[in-house]
Amino acid sequence: MSNDKYRLAELYAKRNILFRLVAQQIILRYRRTALGFLWTLINPLMMMSVMALVFSQLFKEDLKTFAIALFAGMIPWNFFSSVVSQSTTVYINNEGLIKKIYIPKMIFPLSIACGLLIDAIASFFILFIIILGLGGGISWAHLFLPVSFLLLFIFAFGIALIISIATVYFRDLQHIVLIFLQGLFFLTPVLYKSNSIGGKVAWLIDINPVTPFIALFKMPLTESIVPTVGLILRAALTTFLAISLGLFLYVRLQKKIIFRL
Amino acid sequence: MSSIHVENLSIKFRIYHDRSPSLKEYFANLLKRNAKPSYSDFWAINNLSFSINAGERVGIIGHNGAGKSTLLKAICRIYETYEGSISIGGRIAPLLEIGAGFHPEFTGRENIYLNGSILGYSNGELKKIEPEVIAFSELEEFIDMPVKYYSTGMYMRLAFSLATSMHPDILVLDEIFSGGDASFVAKARNRMLELIDKANIMIMVSHDHLLVKSLCDRILWLDHGRLVADGAPDEVTEQYLAGRK
Repeated sequence: MSNDKYRLAELYAKRNILFRLVAQQIILRYRRTALGFLWTLINPLMMMSVMALVFSQLFKEDLKTFAIALFAGMIPWNFFSSVVSQSTTVYINNEGLIKKIYIPKMIFPLSIACGLLIDAIASFFILFIIILGLGGGISWAHLFLPVSFLLLFIFAFGIALIISIATVYFRDLQHIVLIFLQGLFFLTPVLYKSNSIGGKVAWLIDINPVTPFIALFKMPLTESIVPTVGLILRAALTTFLAISLGLFLYVRLQKKIIFRL
Repeated sequence: MSSIHVENLSIKFRIYHDRSPSLKEYFANLLKRNAKPSYSDFWAINNLSFSINAGERVGIIGHNGAGKSTLLKAICRIYETYEGSISIGGRIAPLLEIGAGFHPEFTGRENIYLNGSILGYSNGELKKIEPEVIAFSELEEFIDMPVKYYSTGMYMRLAFSLATSMHPDILVLDEIFSGGDASFVAKARNRMLELIDKANIMIMVSHDHLLVKSLCDRILWLDHGRLVADGAPDEVTEQYLAGRK
């Protein structure tokens, strides 16, 4: 236990490295491009606009309502899926550093999650302006969104800890995870409402651990209501399980990573 | 006071004969009870014990694969899984491979901050040493240029200047590095000697016996991960050279 406390204190002491790695991640993406950081925002925006156009026609829904719901679902989904897919290779990509100097290894997946969180919050503000433009109003329920972001961040980081270590042991996972995420996207109520699909796949959507996190964003943004206590508890429990398992695996295996790279 | 205590240290490497097992093989092997393992264990460090006290200058010698670099990496916490124990007192500066963590797309100045934070310097310290690092590396004109355009010499100069800009309690060296032109090599050597002089403990690995003899007051001779001799530089290097013939 004292050892774990020491680990946290050490991580705090090395926060300087975390800031530098996050900055590196964000700066490198737009250096020497004309539009810079805007690309991070334009890319999902264009994607979502096309999706909104096509799927609102397909589902025969009002474009504005559909677009707002889609935006509200895509932001948490994009964050989650990017964190998970980028975390697979995080130790493998930093092999050079890990073998040359001691750094608490958790800093690598944490820097990815923090960098992507900054992107997600930035695109959230842009999309929020668009939602207002499309006729959505501001409501007290929106004050719940920081909690949604916090739960989603810890949940995704927990999964990232699990996946990043597992991939060091089983390299096939980097490909499996990508395929799995593509499938999971359609089993997550991003494009559609969580209650609009019945039949044989309904239970899959129901047990999908990402489902409650999408609802934590959709409910305040599309219906202007604070998520129900049951939903919040479900998300919190999922978060707790993911981060506990992630930290457990990390503490048990982090010293062995270097021998497996 | 700085100190290093190593007790019964053993470090094992697992060598896979073909490659790391895939997910499929891992589960297949779980089912096969008496499957022949596809790896063998190799002890890079084998039951090693010694202590280094404040003020000592220790050189480690031994032929290739004797476990010298592995030992230094364990002292610097790069390898953390081992049997036995290592306890370290004091701020440690590993100069094992300089330039670790330099990003080619970043400018020299940005790399000072990125690499400096990895080396354990705080932001305040980095601001203070930045002008001195740039001046010593003689890169004033190029410091705001991405390091991918640097020549190998320029790159080494920057990495060396940064890595040697703080005075640690415990200095860990894997060969004394050199790079750049003759005048820089001479300048770097003096800076290195000064760093060694100010360090409370210095521990180094080198294949250059004359250098080790001149810088160290104690030599550890490693062979296949075991300590063969530990003593005064002249005696141990003589034994080592005699034993090698």
